[in-house]
Amino acid sequence: MSRIGVFVCWCGSNIASTVDVEKVREEAAKIPGVVSAVDYKYMCSDPGQNSLRNVIKEKNLTGVVLAACSPHMHENTFRKAAVKEGLNPYFVEIANIREQVSWVHEDKERATAKAVDLMKMMVEKVKRDKPIEDVRVPLNKKALVIGGGISGIQAALDIANGGVEVILVEKEPSIGGRMIQLDETFPTLDCSSCIMTPKMVEVNQHPNIKLYTYSEIEDVSGYIGNFKVKIKKKARSVVEKDCTGCGECWNACPMHKNVKSEFNINLSERTAIYVPFPQAVPLVPVLDRSVCLHFKKGGKCQKCFDACGPKCIDFSMQDEIIEETVGAIVAATGYDLMETSMYGEYGYGKYKDVVSGLQFERLLSASGPTEGVIKRPSDGKTPQTIVFVQCVGSRDPEKGVPYCSKVCCMYTAKHAKLFAHKVHGSQSYVFYIDIRATSKGYEEFVRGTMEQDGAVYLRGRVSKIYEDNGKLIVKGADTLSGNQVEIAADMVVLATGVIPKKGSDKLAQMLGISYDKYGFLTESHPKLRPAESSTAGIFLAGMAQGPRDIPESVVSGSAAASKILGLFSKSEYEVEGTISSVNEATCVACFYCQRVCAYNAISRKEIKDRNGNVVKVVANVNPGLCTGCGACVNACFSKSIDVKGFMDDQIYAEIKSLAV
Amino acid sequence: MKTVLNEQNRRNFVAQVESMLHDKLSKCYQCGKCSAGCPVNFEMDYTPNQIIKMTELGMEDTVLNSKTIWLCVSCNTCSTRCPKGFEVTGIMDVLREIAERKGITSKTEKEVQMFHEVFLDNVKSHGRIFELELVGKYKLKTKHLFRDMFLAPKMLEKGKLKMHGETISNLNQIAKIFKDFE
Repeated sequence: MSRIGVFVCWCGSNIASTVDVEKVREEAAKIPGVVSAVDYKYMCSDPGQNSLRNVIKEKNLTGVVLAACSPHMHENTFRKAAVKEGLNPYFVEIANIREQVSWVHEDKERATAKAVDLMKMMVEKVKRDKPIEDVRVPLNKKALVIGGGISGIQAALDIANGGVEVILVEKEPSIGGRMIQLDETFPTLDCSSCIMTPKMVEVNQHPNIKLYTYSEIEDVSGYIGNFKVKIKKKARSVVEKDCTGCGECWNACPMHKNVKSEFNINLSERTAIYVPFPQAVPLVPVLDRSVCLHFKKGGKCQKCFDACGPKCIDFSMQDEIIEETVGAIVAATGYDLMETSMYGEYGYGKYKDVVSGLQFERLLSASGPTEGVIKRPSDGKTPQTIVFVQCVGSRDPEKGVPYCSKVCCMYTAKHAKLFAHKVHGSQSYVFYIDIRATSKGYEEFVRGTMEQDGAVYLRGRVSKIYEDNGKLIVKGADTLSGNQVEIAADMVVLATGVIPKKGSDKLAQMLGISYDKYGFLTESHPKLRPAESSTAGIFLAGMAQGPRDIPESVVSGSAAASKILGLFSKSEYEVEGTISSVNEATCVACFYCQRVCAYNAISRKEIKDRNGNVVKVVANVNPGLCTGCGACVNACFSKSIDVKGFMDDQIYAEIKSLAV
Repeated sequence: MKTVLNEQNRRNFVAQVESMLHDKLSKCYQCGKCSAGCPVNFEMDYTPNQIIKMTELGMEDTVLNSKTIWLCVSCNTCSTRCPKGFEVTGIMDVLREIAERKGITSKTEKEVQMFHEVFLDNVKSHGRIFELELVGKYKLKTKHLFRDMFLAPKMLEKGKLKMHGETISNLNQIAKIFKDFE
C-alpha cells in the first residue's frame, strides 16, 4: 500500500496569490493513499526541506509529490532531501503549479482547479514509481581530436597538458589547417605562421599527443567512455621515422611544373613528392600517387628514391588501419571556402586577376608564391588599384547561403590595410553591405583602414566585372549617395564566404552527431552547451560549428578540452537512470526502435541457451548513449520498450486521474 | 546616376577639399545624424551625408552644382551633433568657395549665391556687416529693388539700419583670414 506525502508550496505569493493552496492541500488529503498533506510558504528553504524530511521519517512515506515550481528549479533539491531519509530519488515527483499555473493564469478558481489536477496526476504517477538506479559508465581516459587546425591543436594541447593522452588525426599531410595559410591576422597584425608554428611544433613534440597526419577517420562505434575508432593512415610512400625532411627528394622530382599547389590555392606549382609548405609539421613529404611518374609510367622514374640519403622512399607502402579506443572525441573539422562559379558576372576563373580572399592571403604571405610581394596573377605586375567585393556567396539566399560568414569584413579590411602598407600610393575600394566588426579592437581596425590607410568604402554590391583595355571594370552601386559607380581596377578580390569542410557531414553521420542544413555541426544547446554535440562524449570546436574567427576558434578548442578534462576527472560517467528498457519477453525483434533512435543507442542482442544456440534476438539499449527521449517507445509495435520513470501504466494512470 | 570613377581626379578633388577643410572625409560614418537634424534638409537635393560621400568619391560636378551647398544655413546643428566631430558645416563652406572660384553659378539658388558673395564682400571691406550697404548691393544685384521694403521702417525704428557703416580697427586681421583660406 502506497503511503504518499503531498507538499504544496506557496512560493511566497508567487503561487499563493493565484492558486488557493489550502484547497489544493485539502483535495490532496482526500486521495486514497495520501497519508500526509501540508502546505508551506517556501518548501525549498531549509525549514521547508526539514519538514519534508520529518514527514518522510514519521509517516514512513513511499512517495513524495511536491506541488511547487518547475522541476528544472528544485527537483534536485527535493530529491537530495528524500535520499537523506533513505528514499529512492525517483520517488519524488513534481507538479509544476508555478510556471504552468500561477504565472500563466489569472482566474484563481480555475487556476486552483488546474493545480489540483496536476497534483492528482503526480500522486497517481508516484504510486506506480519503481526504484531507478543511475547508470555508471566506465571511462577510457584517452581523447581523439579530429582536425589539426587551430581549434583542434588548441584542444589537443589543452587536453595533453591536463595529463591525458590525445590522438590527433589530420587529413592533410601537415597540421596547421587554414590558419597557417593566412598572412597576418586581424586586428593586431601578428604574423599567422609566427604564432602558429610554435603550437604545431609543440603538438609534434608533446609526450601525450600521438599525431596521425595524412589520415582519416574510417569508422567510429561505441559510446561515451568507450568509443572504438578506426583510423586510416594513407600510404605516404615515405617512412616517417627515417625521413629527415632534407628536401633532396622533392628537388629531384621531375614533376616540378605540372601540379597546382593546393596550399597556395593554384597560384603556384608543386612536385609530385612534396611538403605543402616549408614549416610543415611533420616535415615529412607525401608522394602524390595520382601524378607521380613512377606510378603512371610503370615504375620507370625513381629519381626521388635515388636522391634520398636515408632511403626512406617506399613505393610499395600500403594504407594502414589503426584501431584506438577513446573515451571522448573532439570534432574540429574546419571549413572550406565557397565556390564562386555561380557568379558568372564576377568572372572568377575567367579573369586571372579576379581572385578569392584566401588566394590574396597567399599573395600577401612571405611564404606564398610571390614571397609576399603583391603581384597580380595575369602578368606579375604590382596592382595599383584593387577592388574588394564583400559578401560573395554569403548573405545571398538565391545563389549562395543566407548566413553571414563573419570573418570577411575583417579580413577584407586587413587586406586593404596590408595592400596600402605594401604598395605605397595604391588605392583600394571596398564594396560592402554592412560592416560587422564586433570583437575587441575590430571596429577601430576597420576605421583605421578607412581613415589612416585611405581605403574607400562603398555601400553596395557589385553587379558585374568585365575586362576592358587591360583593366577590370567593376560596376557597382553606392547606395548612400544613390549612384551607380564604375571603377577601373587592376585586380579584384572576392571575399568568399565559408562553408563546412567537404565530407564533414559524412563524419557527423559516422559519429552520430547532428548537423544543420548547411552541414555545420550543431551544439547540444546553442547558448548553454556550445561545446557539446548532441551525443554524449563528443565535443565540437572551431569553424566546423559555424563561421568564427581565430580567437573564437581557440576558445572553443579550449572549451572542448576543459569539458573532456572535467569528464575524465571522475572514474566513471554517471547518467540519469530514466532511460529506455526492453521487455525481452515480448520484444519481437522488428527493430523499428533502432531506426528511429537518433543516438545509435539500440543494438541487437542474441539470447542464447546453455549450449550457445541463439534462442531469440531482442533489442538492447546502450545506457551510455540513450538519452531517454522516448522515440523508441512510440515506434514499438509490441509495447515492449518503455522509458524508466515514464512507464505506460504511469502515464495511463495520470490520464485516468483526470477523468474522475 | 552613373559615375565613372577617375582615380586621379578623385584624389585631386579630395585633397583640395581636405586641405581647405582641415578634416578627413574618411572620418564620416555615413550614419546620417547630420541629415536627420538638418532644418533645411527638406529643400535639399542631396542630404548632407550624401554630399560628404559624393565628395569622397570625387563626384565634383554633382556636388558643386547641388542645391544643398547653397541651401545650408550654417546653423551648425550637424557639426554639433556629429559623433565623429566632422566639420559638416565646414564642407558646405568649402564646396561653396570651390564653386565660386570655378565660376560655377547655381542654376536654382542664384539669389542665395548672390547674397553669399555680397555678404562676404561686406565682411571683407568692413570687418563686420554694414546692413544698408549689404541690402543695397544685394538689391542691385538681384534687381528686386522694392521687395521687403516695408521692413525698412521697422528696422530703422529698432536701430538695426545705421546710416553710417563701422569698420573695425584691425581690418588687416580679417584680410589675413581671407588670405589663409585662399
